[in-house]
Amino acid sequence: MKQDFMFTSESVTDGHPDKLCDQVSDAIIDRYFQQDPFSRVVAECAVSKGILFIAARFASLASIDISSIARQVIGQIGYEHGDFNARDCTVMTSLMELPALSHPQLDEREMSEGELEGVTARNQANVFGFACNQSAAMMPLPIWLAHKLARRLTAARLQKQLLYLAPDGKTQVGVAYRDGRPHRIHSITLVASQRKEALQNLVSLRDDLCQHVIEPAFLGEELRPDVRTHIFINPDGPIVDGGPALHSGLTGRKNAVDTYGEYSRHSESALSGKDPSRIDRVGAYAARYAAKNVVAADLAQACEVHLAYSIGIARPVSIQVDSFGTGTIPDTEIAARIQAHFDFRPAAIIRTFNLRYQPQLYRGGFYRRLAVYGQVGRMDVGLPWESTDKAELLR
Amino acid sequence: MSQILDHAQGHSIIAAASDEAERRWLVRVVHAAVKGRVRFEVNGLYRCEPVRLRIESELAHRAGIKQVSANILTGRLLIIFDPIHGIEEIRVLVEQSLEGSIPTASKQRLDANIHPLHSLPSTATAGVRPALLQGQSNWHVLPADVVLSDLETSREHGLGRASVQLRLHRYGINRLPKALPRSGLSIFLGQFKSLPVILLGVSAMLSAATGGFADAVVILGVVMINAGTGYAAESQSERTINALGESVQQNAAVIRDAQLAEVEAEVMVPGDILVLTPGTQVAADARLLESRNLTVDESALTGESLPVIKRVESLDEPDVPLADRFNMVYMGTVVTGGSGLAVVVATGGHTEIGTIQTLVSETRPPETPMQRQLRTLGNQMVLLSVGICGVVYLIGLARGYGWLQMLKTSISLAVAAIPEGLPTVATTTLALGIRNMRRHRVLVRHLDAVETLGAMQVICLDKTGTLTFNRMSVLAIYSGERRITLANDMFYGDGVRMDPAQSDELLRLIHVAVLCNETELNGDAGNYALKGSATENALVHLALTAGVEVGMLRRRYSKVQVEYRAEKHNFMRTTHTTGGAGKLVAVKGSPAEVLEMCGWWIKDGVRLPLTETERTAILIENDRMAGEALRVLGFAYVELAHADLLPAEELIWLGMTGMADPVRQGMRELIALFHQAGIDTVMITGDQSATAYAIGKELGISGSEELNILDSIRLEQLDPEVLTGLAQKVNIFSRVSPANKLQIMQALQRAGKIAGMTGDGINDGPALKAADIGVAMGGIGTDVARNVADVVLEDDNLHTMIVAVSEGRTIYDNIRKSIHFLTATNLSEIMVMLGSIGTGLGTPLTTLQLLWINLVTDIFPALALAVEPPEPDVLHRPPRDPKEPLVKPSDFKRYGLESLTMTAGSMASYGYAVARYGIGPQARTAAFMTLTMAQLLHAYSCRSDRSGIFSGETLGPNPYLNLALGGTAALQLASVAVPGLRSLLGNTLPSPIDWVMIGAGSALPFIMNEASKGPVMKRKRRQGLLYSPTSPAGA
Repeated sequence: MKQDFMFTSESVTDGHPDKLCDQVSDAIIDRYFQQDPFSRVVAECAVSKGILFIAARFASLASIDISSIARQVIGQIGYEHGDFNARDCTVMTSLMELPALSHPQLDEREMSEGELEGVTARNQANVFGFACNQSAAMMPLPIWLAHKLARRLTAARLQKQLLYLAPDGKTQVGVAYRDGRPHRIHSITLVASQRKEALQNLVSLRDDLCQHVIEPAFLGEELRPDVRTHIFINPDGPIVDGGPALHSGLTGRKNAVDTYGEYSRHSESALSGKDPSRIDRVGAYAARYAAKNVVAADLAQACEVHLAYSIGIARPVSIQVDSFGTGTIPDTEIAARIQAHFDFRPAAIIRTFNLRYQPQLYRGGFYRRLAVYGQVGRMDVGLPWESTDKAELLR
Repeated sequence: MSQILDHAQGHSIIAAASDEAERRWLVRVVHAAVKGRVRFEVNGLYRCEPVRLRIESELAHRAGIKQVSANILTGRLLIIFDPIHGIEEIRVLVEQSLEGSIPTASKQRLDANIHPLHSLPSTATAGVRPALLQGQSNWHVLPADVVLSDLETSREHGLGRASVQLRLHRYGINRLPKALPRSGLSIFLGQFKSLPVILLGVSAMLSAATGGFADAVVILGVVMINAGTGYAAESQSERTINALGESVQQNAAVIRDAQLAEVEAEVMVPGDILVLTPGTQVAADARLLESRNLTVDESALTGESLPVIKRVESLDEPDVPLADRFNMVYMGTVVTGGSGLAVVVATGGHTEIGTIQTLVSETRPPETPMQRQLRTLGNQMVLLSVGICGVVYLIGLARGYGWLQMLKTSISLAVAAIPEGLPTVATTTLALGIRNMRRHRVLVRHLDAVETLGAMQVICLDKTGTLTFNRMSVLAIYSGERRITLANDMFYGDGVRMDPAQSDELLRLIHVAVLCNETELNGDAGNYALKGSATENALVHLALTAGVEVGMLRRRYSKVQVEYRAEKHNFMRTTHTTGGAGKLVAVKGSPAEVLEMCGWWIKDGVRLPLTETERTAILIENDRMAGEALRVLGFAYVELAHADLLPAEELIWLGMTGMADPVRQGMRELIALFHQAGIDTVMITGDQSATAYAIGKELGISGSEELNILDSIRLEQLDPEVLTGLAQKVNIFSRVSPANKLQIMQALQRAGKIAGMTGDGINDGPALKAADIGVAMGGIGTDVARNVADVVLEDDNLHTMIVAVSEGRTIYDNIRKSIHFLTATNLSEIMVMLGSIGTGLGTPLTTLQLLWINLVTDIFPALALAVEPPEPDVLHRPPRDPKEPLVKPSDFKRYGLESLTMTAGSMASYGYAVARYGIGPQARTAAFMTLTMAQLLHAYSCRSDRSGIFSGETLGPNPYLNLALGGTAALQLASVAVPGLRSLLGNTLPSPIDWVMIGAGSALPFIMNEASKGPVMKRKRRQGLLYSPTSPAGA
């Protein structure tokens, strides 16, 4: 691993069109699973020119109103007025029912060993999990800070501190590393869209964002912006209204934001809009779970877990660990311990994380929360794959 | 239409121009480029019958003027005169004719800014006050009171019976002028106006001039028979077509003798006080006297699709476009909202729409695209035939035949080769199709609708009323954590029949549903009549089913306040007295919103706090019910001890009802039929997308493909290009208002689709009009929908639509079959002559034989082919490509090949006879018989492009064709068997071997043509397969 370098990660707010699509997709998954935990659903969205396109393929006992869910999400994000809004926007849904599954299906929670083995991967898939000790959440510092800024940006709007903000926004944090450790904040970029009717000049916008977004976001952080930190506010000029009226969005286009901010490898396939039977989604959670526990067990300062799944086989065909030279024991040994203590079979992952029933436990939806501010490294939702309960076993 | 409007308005502005303009000119030259012909614009002529009469009568007798024709609709005057007079001279004459008649009194009125020439005293207007003259076009600048007094009527009393009679006599009945039907004589004479008949006439004269009187008589006989059939067919069709535009009897509400009366719109007269209510079609042009938020859809007149708000105030400017005369209502427009009172100022042909109609109806209805194509095709074939006949003539001369004989031969060949029956066949076919559809209670209102029906690619179906009954009923209730279903007016809880009175929360729910409800309950127990919205009626019906005393309940809790559903809050709230000091608040509306306001719920009669778990369960149940295509309503209430307490958010949740509008029977099968016929179906509904999805699934609206739903309440805001792209994929438009149908239709049409649209409401008018095929429901539809539609389904049965499509396609097919037959057989005649003369074998057919062929083989088989029954696969193939010409180049190629086989057969027969008998009557008889028989057999071949005698598929029987062919064949045999006829035609009696040769020569081409259908068909199928990915779903 390089020792001295600069790394920038970005995050976007919930009003960003790509993230809006992710949230709609996952809200649909939530709604299906609230009614029928054994649904099979793929929900993909695209938004352009003020039209939201939803393509959903499903086999489910549930009956849901997809466009009203989409409108609900759009409204909750804050698109209530303007060119693109929850009430007026056009929603085009393309619905395809998959052949019905045999019901009742087996509940992973009650599966025998043989049955668990019988649920195999349905796709060739590489999934990656990563963890490092750069932040409390064991996430790389740049993405961690970018998420914090994005949250603050949204909070400043929702808490009515900055009334002129519109929901669309983007944050970037560049962290300078020295000897492989974060050394200082090199740069911060904030792109904040503003409402047409309350456009601010750049100076007051800059002051407001520094006061209400950057400062609170870095509260409690070891590294804070210093005098040399470049702060870019709307470098491309003011963004008026922003959101889907301005640029288009697509489910699964913000994979780096969902994972580790490009700091480690991540799978190309989208996480949002897929039900838990999809290994490319839940495998990523399982890999993160393993990596985080490795770091929590102090076996390495940084750890990337790579699981390779193949069609027709339940267990991953290979489990690779890379500790980037920070490991206290050889990487192969870490991999062996992971294999011994983690069950990476698709059905086992569903069981371990209780993925079929989570949407029923959270009224506001479970998957939908994952769709913004990262699907991993979340400290706000009690995500099962963020637990470090296996650290002791790995030691 | 708008052009016409501009035109009309332009003149009304001129007519209403101020006095300044009056002094400037009275008569103005518009056009005088042609010598001896001048067109004037005459100020005051516009819409003034007396002026026209005066000008025409004054000028007609003047020396030097040959013809005078004044048009009150354009205000122009055409004079044809002796060129020795100057134009200025004529102009002065015209002015004199006008001025000599204007009395001083009306010249003074001229300054009073009232149209001067309306007040011309003439026999037509004597004794009537000037203002009463119809056609006065600036009522909008006069105050309402002045209008009333000018029209000698009053707002409160209206007109008296006597006055109405007088005025009715004076102004005529209030009916729009209709185009005069063509008289029988003109139809008959029309038969002689065609190029082929003129050629025949020339031929007859030539024959007579060269001593061939028999020929001339036969030729004239041909002309008469052709004209006779043409006349019979066309006059029959004319009757059918004229009946198309007849609109439905209409009534209007007026005040007469101080009483509100419903009268026939036809007996309305100027001065009548018209009562306007939503949904009524305005029966005459009228000036508003009262308006309570009156809005009128004037799209029929102005093309403006948004309703116009009407007011009473008078306008300042006289020359305001029709669309901006907000204090006038016009005949043919429709009241969409509010109410009002207006005084009729113009009726019948003097109304704005009447003027337009008169302008339009002065011309014949325009040719339909198919008729146009046919005419072009016919002309092309005339040119082709004449050209070839010219070639035949020249070759004949070169070969040394006498010029006179060759001229006669060539002319009769041209006559035989020209398909003079084509227009007759087409008109007859269209008219017969319309009659056929009428038998299925499908009214076609425009001629071109018939052919468009066959090309229809998409049909947009209104859900409510068309696919469903538009009758709501409660099917499910969720109350107290229990799902209760209703079937046949019985309640079932968990599958077991239950008594609704046993469940406290259910009973409360029903009570609230009745109280928070505006449906009026009339009649006696057991025989109630419900008057209200479909939804609220369903709730009252539910209460009656549960045995609730609705009337008593409502009396006990009398309603004191109602808060309707609004944009911001999606629920209705009513407040009721409870008998004591307290009050009861009942709420009904969107379950999510009602639930938000609740803090409690009731289970088994016990009030419990609402926890997150219950809320989630309720919302999930709401989703589920919505997903089952139910319209879900939530109910809550609260009883307050004191009336002045405000209803806080602590309402008590009672439950939800789910109601549905059942789908009509057989709709799924019908949709499948449309798909089979390659017609895409699009459903348009105001429902939520979940409901729409459930119904769409039930109907199989997208076939086996994925179901695309476009959910939007603001379609008009969408980028038209985007909508165009989307519309081609969408199966269901949900949450759209009827007004959005126009956008949907326009989007489909921009995408190049031939689209149909069903509708019945007032708001559907613009979309129905814009649609290629506007389909109105006859029974439940409004007048507007019926009047703008192209097709009216009289018994509201959408199934007849598929009959109409089949009929439309069959008509198109049949016309093609006739063309096929006429082209192929006529070409064969030319080829035989050309081939024989070219190869020096002499003329194989005499002039009379050619004329005979023309007579017996052209018209009757072609007419019989035009009444072919539908082909068996007519509803199993995709609609034709609307851009495809009636006859494609590939078709011509095939027709050419077919005529080549017939020619080969006849030539072989002729060659054999020439070899045996030499050039002469025997050989000609062989050629004549072979060619005619081959042509008759070919008629069978023309019955289908696809199936023939070798394809194994059978076509439905066509007795007319058998009759026509049998009859013609008998005549043909008579031409050799009957001695007189034989000698007239120059025939001989063929020998048995000749017969065999004739038989072979005519049957072999038929067999070859039938056999070659296979490959043609297979090639077509292959093409079909190649196109199928882009062809409509389910095709």
